[in-house]
Amino acid sequence: MTYEKIRRRLIAILASRGCISAEELADETIDRVARRVIDIRNAYVGDKAIYFLGVMNNVHHEYLKRPMIPRLPERDDDVEAKEKTHGCLERCLGKLTTNSRQMIERYYAEDKQAKIDLRRRIAEEFGITPSTLRLRALRIREKLQACIEQCLRAEAL
Amino acid sequence: MLAGGSFVMTDNNDRFHDGGSQEFSDETIRRFLLGGLSASEQPLFEQRLITDDGLDARVRLAEFDLADDYAFERLSTLDRELFEKKFLLTSDRQQQVRVSKVLRDRFSSTAATSSEEHTVAQRLRELFGLNRPAWRIAFGVLILLILFGTAWLVIKEPRIVRQIANRITPRRSTPASAPREAGHPTNTSMPEHQTTPSPMPEHDQTAAARIVLMPAVSYDSNKLLSVNLPKGEQEIVRLQLVVKPDQPGPHRAELLTVQGQSIFSADSLQSADSRANVDFDVPAHLLNGGDYQIRLSRSDRGKQEVVARYYFRVQ
Repeated sequence: MTYEKIRRRLIAILASRGCISAEELADETIDRVARRVIDIRNAYVGDKAIYFLGVMNNVHHEYLKRPMIPRLPERDDDVEAKEKTHGCLERCLGKLTTNSRQMIERYYAEDKQAKIDLRRRIAEEFGITPSTLRLRALRIREKLQACIEQCLRAEAL
Repeated sequence: MLAGGSFVMTDNNDRFHDGGSQEFSDETIRRFLLGGLSASEQPLFEQRLITDDGLDARVRLAEFDLADDYAFERLSTLDRELFEKKFLLTSDRQQQVRVSKVLRDRFSSTAATSSEEHTVAQRLRELFGLNRPAWRIAFGVLILLILFGTAWLVIKEPRIVRQIANRITPRRSTPASAPREAGHPTNTSMPEHQTTPSPMPEHDQTAAARIVLMPAVSYDSNKLLSVNLPKGEQEIVRLQLVVKPDQPGPHRAELLTVQGQSIFSADSLQSADSRANVDFDVPAHLLNGGDYQIRLSRSDRGKQEVVARYYFRVQ
């Protein structure tokens, strides 16, 4: 399992527990496992991922004992960042295949009140079930997300 | 995925397999993301998530779905509060929401028109069953047949092609200078018309009638050659215009009324090697009863020079 995968899963679990420092604790967990890996490598039996979960539980318990730091509300008024994201979206849409682009355009061009009905119609157009449509659209969405993040990182350099 | 330092997006939809993660419903995954699992559900879900790639993939997709629902304002007030309190805790997820909002701004404005257009098109397609591959193949074959048929027609039946071309060529516009030229003869002497209307030779399958016309200096209604022409939409009259040997082609022949109204023309006409005639084929249906003139010209240093005129009467 890759570092990124285990980190993402740890963050998801910590966030689900309401931890506002999920990323920080996930990194701390991985650091602790890395420090002990030589000692336990030969003796440990079972799924290694479970070991990460155990260490994460310890880290989280320690965290809960610390005084709580209130989280600052997210600001969403960065116009420049929004424009950059728009630019990256256009570029990333251009990298999609025609079929994927058409699907994502139809999937997101929907009225919020008519979500279910419209998705059923789109699914019929593409000759798939609504659940398959959702799955495919979200996979394309995931690729777009990764592409946009890479694009934004490249622009920041 | 990263390839050679650049981002490449593919349609590899098999990246995520559900594996054994189906024991958790989409609703359960959503509750996990919003921090709403019970004390007994949470540890089991966590253990499966950390070890199961399929569940991890589903959770990842559910995150995008949730972020989209939030950006598109599809969450209830309670879920919206939970989303902001329990989901929006990491920079990764905040970025997801940012992208969802950009997608909303980019696409949602076209929702109404797009859905309406697609609805009508979809209904038509459903009505005729046009979504079926068989129809697509049938249309493709039909188009190919039409193309091959047209090509065969052009190769095998040049006569039809010529007739079509002649139908396209006729012009009904009246040149401004034409009436003046027709009404101001330079010489009032009688034209010498030696005409020999003859039946179509057996080997000639193009023209239904052939008329030899001699050049004339001016129009004289009393001395015109009168001809009877076949009547028929498809018939062609071949006007053989006698030209002087020192006036080589290519020629342009224009059929006009004696008043100067242009009826029909043909360009790039060449005289046959053996005779000093220029064959000018005219659709018979253009020649109704009345007096006509033909203006024969040729291009000389970029200018059209009239080399002869011919007059005749159709009975």
